[in-house]
Amino acid sequence: MLFSRRIVLGLAMAGSMAGALAFPALAGEGPTEVDLFFPVPVDGKLARDMGTLIKEFNETHPDVKATAVYTGSYDDTLIKTRAAIKAGKPPAAVIMSANFLLDMQIENELTNLDALIKADGSTKEQFLGQFFPALHGNAVINRSVYGVPFHNSTPLLYINADKAKEAGLDPSKPPQTWAELTDWAKKLTKREGDKVTQWGIAIPCAYDYCGWMMETLTMSNGGRYYNEEFGGEVYYDTPSMLGALSWWNDLIYKHKVHTPGATPGPAVSTSFISGNAAMMMLSTGSLTYVRDNAKFAYKVAFIPRNVRNAVPIGGASLIMPAGLEADKQKAAWTLIKWMTSPEKSGWWSRATGYFAPNMAAYKTPEMVEFLGKNPDAKTAVEQLDIAKPWFATYKTVPVRKNLEDEVMLVLNGKKQPKEALAAAQKAADETLKPYNAETSLKLP
Amino acid sequence: MHSISRRDEMSLAEPAALPVATSAAPRLHVLKRVLGRFKASLPAYLLLLPSLIFLALFTYGAMGRVLVDALYQRASPKAPVRFVGFENISAVLADPAFTGAVVNNLIYTVGTAVPSIALALLFALALSRTNVVTSALRAALFLPVLIPMVAASALFLFIFLPNVGLLDYYIGRLLPVLPNWLGDPDIALYAIMIITIWKNAGYYMLFFLAGLQAVPEDVMEAAHLDGAGPYRRLRHIILPELKPTFLFVTVIATLNAVTQVDHVFVMTQGGPSNATNLVLFYIYQQAVEHYDIGKASAATLLTLAALMTLTALSFRTLANREGGP
Repeated sequence: MLFSRRIVLGLAMAGSMAGALAFPALAGEGPTEVDLFFPVPVDGKLARDMGTLIKEFNETHPDVKATAVYTGSYDDTLIKTRAAIKAGKPPAAVIMSANFLLDMQIENELTNLDALIKADGSTKEQFLGQFFPALHGNAVINRSVYGVPFHNSTPLLYINADKAKEAGLDPSKPPQTWAELTDWAKKLTKREGDKVTQWGIAIPCAYDYCGWMMETLTMSNGGRYYNEEFGGEVYYDTPSMLGALSWWNDLIYKHKVHTPGATPGPAVSTSFISGNAAMMMLSTGSLTYVRDNAKFAYKVAFIPRNVRNAVPIGGASLIMPAGLEADKQKAAWTLIKWMTSPEKSGWWSRATGYFAPNMAAYKTPEMVEFLGKNPDAKTAVEQLDIAKPWFATYKTVPVRKNLEDEVMLVLNGKKQPKEALAAAQKAADETLKPYNAETSLKLP
Repeated sequence: MHSISRRDEMSLAEPAALPVATSAAPRLHVLKRVLGRFKASLPAYLLLLPSLIFLALFTYGAMGRVLVDALYQRASPKAPVRFVGFENISAVLADPAFTGAVVNNLIYTVGTAVPSIALALLFALALSRTNVVTSALRAALFLPVLIPMVAASALFLFIFLPNVGLLDYYIGRLLPVLPNWLGDPDIALYAIMIITIWKNAGYYMLFFLAGLQAVPEDVMEAAHLDGAGPYRRLRHIILPELKPTFLFVTVIATLNAVTQVDHVFVMTQGGPSNATNLVLFYIYQQAVEHYDIGKASAATLLTLAALMTLTALSFRTLANREGGP
C-alpha cells in the first residue's frame, strides 16, 4: 500500500484539474460574458474606479456580464492582448494606448468598427462627430474606424507661481514662445557659485515620454514627426526636429537652466513638487497629482511655440480585437458605447484627471460644476483646439526608440543634435524597411 | 489491490530475484528481465511523474517551441512565417544592440558577482560565531534578500532621483555637479549594479556561513597550536575548504546576473541609449516591442546554450572536486 492510494488520489485530482482547465465554460444560456482588458498608466486608484464603472454597467445591462481585467501598463496591455489573440481567446474589448492602433491594424489584430456603426443606423461622420477632432487621427485608419477614444491627454507647461513672483515674473501671463520660456527659465534658475540649487525648467526623457516630448517640441516648431497618412515614414532628420532638439540641448548646455541627462517623468514631477524645478513640461494626466501634492500656487499653460502652437494627444482608445464571435462583438460594442457616452466619459475624467474625449461630457451639469472649481482642468481641454494625433507607425515602439536613444545621447552631451538625428533617421528607416517593401516600394 | 502492492514491495526490495520461467525462450527471457527492471523502478518513475509533467509542460515544451520558433521568420508584416534556418541567429549576432547587451551583461556579471561574493565572504567570516549580536547582524544583512526586486527597484528609483533623491541630498554637499544616476549612460549600469550587490551579498553570505561550519575544528586548532596567524589560517585552511562553496556561489551569481532583470524593467528600460540593456531585456524587446518572435527565440536559444554550457562545466568541476581527495 505504499503508493497506490495516494497515486490514485493524485491522478484523480490532476485529472479533474486538467478537466477544469480544458472545459472552463460549459455554461448554458445566460448573459454574454465579455472581458475588458484595462491598463493603469498612472496610479492604483484607477483600478477601483474601473470596478465601480463596470459594476454599474452590469447592473444596468442584464444581458451582458462584463469583467474588468487589470493588465498592467500600456505596454503590458499590448503584450497580454496579443498573447490572448494568439491563444485564440481574445478579450472582447481593450483600453489600448492610442498610438498602438495602427501597428495592430497592420498586424490584422483589430476589428473594423464600421459595420457596427452602420448597424446602429449611424454614419462614421456622425459617430466620430461626438469626439474632439484632434482625437480622430488615432482612431481612424484607412478611413475606417478602429478605436473609440476613451481617455486622453496633452502635454502642458506647469509653472510654480510662487517662484515666478519671487523672480519678478507675472504667472498670470505665462510664456507663450520659446524665447519667452528661455527667458523665464533663466530668471528662475538659482545658482550658488557653479552649483545650481533651482532649475528653471524640467522636460522628461525616458522611453515613451521622450518620444512624446520630441513630438511636442517638433510640432510647436512647425514640424510633423511622422506621416499621418502612412505608417512607413518618420521625419527625424528635418529642420523642424533639429531646431527642437537643438533648443532642448541649448537649455542644458548653453543656458544651463535644465539639468543634464535624461530625466524620467516621475523624477520631473517630484523635482517640480519639491521646488527643485520651477517649471516643467508634463502630461495633463499628472494634473491631479500636482493638484493634490503641490504646497505652492501653481499655474498651467499651453506649451509655448517657436513657429506655431501645436501639441500631440496622448491617452487610450477602446478597441475590439479581431476574431471575436458575433454575440461577444455585440456585447462589447454595447459596453464601449456606454463607456464613451457623455455621462460616463465625464465621470471617468473627473475620477482620473484625463480629459473626456466626448465633447458632450463638458455640457453635463457635473462637469460644468467641476470646471468651475478647478479652472486648471480647462486649460487641457482648450489646448485640444491646437492638438494633433500622436505618432503611430509600423512598429511604433522600436521606431520611437530609434529616436529616443539618440536624443538621450544629446541630452548627456555625448552627441550633437545634427549627427544624432541623422543616426536616428537611418535606424528608423531600417526598422520601417519591411513595411515599405510591402507597401510604398512594392511596385508593379 | 493487496496482491499488487505486495508484488511492488517485493520488487522494491529485491529486483533481481524475480521468478523467471526456466522453460521460456531466451528472447522472452530478456523481455521479462527488462519488464522486471521497469517494474522495479516504476515507483521511482511514478514519484517523478508529477514534476516531469509540469517540467514538460512549462519548461521542456517551451524550450522546444523556442527551438522551432527560432527557425522561422516573416518576410514582411502580412506574409506568413516561413522556414529560414539559421538566419535569425545570424541576424541576432549581427545586431549591435545584441552585442551591446552581451558586453553590458559581461560587465554586469563580473561587476556584481565579484564584489557581492567578496562582501558575502567578509560578512560570513565576521559573523561566523553565533551569539545575539551576530544573529541580529546576520538578519540585518539578510534583509535585502527578503525585499522583492521590483519593490527594491522602486525604492532605489527615489534614492537615485537626480537633484532631489536621498543619494544626491547627501553626496550633493560634496560634489559641485550632481550625477544623474540613471540618466547618464556612463553611470547607469553601475547604479544598477549597486542594487544587485546590495540585494545579493546577504544571500551569498548564507552559503559561506554554511561552508564555514564544514571547516574541521581540529585542523583549525592544530594550526592555531602550530602558531599560524589569522591570515595563514584563512589562506591555507578556510579558503581551500570553501572552494566548493565558491564554485557554487559563482554559478548562482552568474545565473542571477543573466536571469534577474527586474530592476532594469522598473528603473531604466534598458536606457539611456541602451546603456543598461542586458541580454534578457533585449529578448523581451525583440518579442514585445519589435514583435519579432523569430529573433527573440534565436536570442533565447543563444542565451540558453551559454547558460547550460556554463552550468554543466561548473557542476562537473564541482562533482570532480567533491569526489576527489
